[in-house]
Amino acid sequence: MSRLTRRRFIGTAAGAATLAAFGRPAFAQDRTRIRHFWWGNPDRDERTFRVIEIFNQKHPDIEVVGETLGFADYFTRLTTQIAGGNMADAIQMGYGVMFEYIQRGAILPLDDHVGSTLDLTQIDESALQAGTVDGKLYALSIGANSHMAMYNTRLYEEAGITSGDGFDPYGWTYDDVKRIGVAVKEATGVAGTDDNTADYQNFSDFVGQKGAELYKADGTYGVTQEIVEEYWTIWKDIRDAGATPPGPASAGLVGAEMAQWGIITGQSATSYAWSNQLVGAQELMQDTLGAAMYPNTPEMIPGSIVQPSQFICLSRDTVDAQATTTYMDAFVNDPEMTAVLGLERGIPANSQVREALVPTLEGAQALSVEFFDNIQGKTMALPPPPPSGANEVEQTFERIAVGVLLDQVSIADAAADFLRQAEAILRRAS
Amino acid sequence: MQKFLRKNAPAYVFLAPWLIGFFLLAIFPILASLYLSFTQYDVVRPPEWVGIENYQYMFEFDYRFWKSMQVTFTFVVISVPAKLIFALAVAMLLDKGIRAVGWYRALFYLPSILGGSIAVAILWRQLFDYNGVINSVLRFFGGDGPYWLSDPRYSLWTLIVLAVWQFGSPMLIFLAGLRAIPQDLYEAAEIDAAGPARKFFAITVPLLAPVIFFNLVLQMIEAFKSFSGAFIISGGTGAPLDSLLFFTVYLFNEAFSYFRMGYASALGWVLLLIIAAFTAIAFWTSKYWVHYENERG
Repeated sequence: MSRLTRRRFIGTAAGAATLAAFGRPAFAQDRTRIRHFWWGNPDRDERTFRVIEIFNQKHPDIEVVGETLGFADYFTRLTTQIAGGNMADAIQMGYGVMFEYIQRGAILPLDDHVGSTLDLTQIDESALQAGTVDGKLYALSIGANSHMAMYNTRLYEEAGITSGDGFDPYGWTYDDVKRIGVAVKEATGVAGTDDNTADYQNFSDFVGQKGAELYKADGTYGVTQEIVEEYWTIWKDIRDAGATPPGPASAGLVGAEMAQWGIITGQSATSYAWSNQLVGAQELMQDTLGAAMYPNTPEMIPGSIVQPSQFICLSRDTVDAQATTTYMDAFVNDPEMTAVLGLERGIPANSQVREALVPTLEGAQALSVEFFDNIQGKTMALPPPPPSGANEVEQTFERIAVGVLLDQVSIADAAADFLRQAEAILRRAS
Repeated sequence: MQKFLRKNAPAYVFLAPWLIGFFLLAIFPILASLYLSFTQYDVVRPPEWVGIENYQYMFEFDYRFWKSMQVTFTFVVISVPAKLIFALAVAMLLDKGIRAVGWYRALFYLPSILGGSIAVAILWRQLFDYNGVINSVLRFFGGDGPYWLSDPRYSLWTLIVLAVWQFGSPMLIFLAGLRAIPQDLYEAAEIDAAGPARKFFAITVPLLAPVIFFNLVLQMIEAFKSFSGAFIISGGTGAPLDSLLFFTVYLFNEAFSYFRMGYASALGWVLLLIIAAFTAIAFWTSKYWVHYENERG
């Protein structure tokens, strides 16, 4: 062994560094590695990872790697990945935000792959329509949803309330919510319903129920002062009757993840969400959940929509569009994979998949299908995609509504403030 | 040049990892953000030059910018002195020569190591939850606690308490400073019949002034930059009613919720200027109240 000189040491170190930098092991090249990124919950994550495993076994030339985050963090991560140019190949999108990403060019059109790697012959026309912008298809629907009120059947029964007996889950009013909520509270001590004062989803339903629309054709905000005031007054009335948790408690839950919902924590007997979330929520509960539409006014003008709410998209940063669209195709068509996915992301857009699934379903998944059968004809038409800035308008609504929940501002002032800010946001975004 | 290279090249080779990191990860992003602050940049499309429009909008129209300034300044003005007073008090207690003082030191320093972490912020949220530990204790004694986190009158105070709780590092520095004060000064004062208060204000404070000043500047900068606690406790939005809308939280929202990277960069530079201004003010006033022992004058 020769003496270790300084020069020799530097030479060896530099050599080792070069090796580390360029000496990639050869076996990494065998399979095309693509990434799938979605937002989820524990149940969805488990299903999706199982599906990826199935796909990888069937396709020896492709290796799919899954990445998942909660909804709140998902878009933050996605934004940093867009800036860094390293988005996953296949990304999950929602109907509300998708169009901003398409307009900005973060998502690639799929038309070139239709007929080769993508087989869309079994996909519902309405689902394809929802993913199309300016005649180009950008997104594959992986589940249709609607707004759903989920209630704890045990607590409802203890208060003597059963479906059909003074409670029509597919046609109840805000007055019913108040009456039932108070009854549940008196019988069980648990607040009968969540307080939706700061829930934009319920608010957007209410706007439809009043015959108005959130956004006019020219992209301006279509809601009037009267509608906002009436909405907050209705919920204040329900809150003052004692049917909801106290205002400050609800203020702390704005934008909460599933695990913090009133029905899950036992703070209330009814929570309001997306219909597909019934499956994940039931997984976190012991009592059985019931499904109802969002409440309506006595006029019963439809306000909820059935919308293909979750999509899988091909990102601008994909390393291999061929392999990625092959995976996307399997995600919506492969019988084995769709059987594992079930209805957890919503009702599948592939008619054959639906037919194969329905007889096998039980529990919350069966209830989801029943819910969809029952809301037929009670929903309104899908409005055009929301304009840029819609997301910020939604968050502004939630922020200002907290002042109403805490009784720190009058409903009239809060409504005027919200509309003024909504207009300003939309002007700035356009 | 040749000679310079031959003489210093090995030094630069060894410095290279650090230099590369410094230029690539510090200087370049700083300059890039300065450029971006004059653009409109939505991450996907290339930045578009808009001149000083971002700064103009900020000062003229953006009421949430002013709200975030108000929240941040309230936090700094209350939490920094409170933390320093608390740190000094504990340091003076530990300076008394209690048994097992090493253990206490480590114990009191612990929150400073943990304090900035996400886990502690989440724990804090649990503690101050309506059905959390704090309110359970209050109920045990017959009281009823408020909604600490969802009531804007209290929410900021939970974060101030969190900041004060992380008093460990200024405490250690105070402790070192206290040890450096010559004991004979106190003995002389005692012979002249000075009480504890007199000794504190006539000896401890003046001799500790350089250390107090150092801690003040450091803690002030840290308080202006405070982020993770407010982010976690407010669910990332500054809720309730923007009472936790720290400057940094607002910046984060503009950048990552609304894709206004250019505007967020402008906010970042304004924060830098604010911190620089206040540090400069602190240095300027220090002439009048900080005296160094080895100064001749």
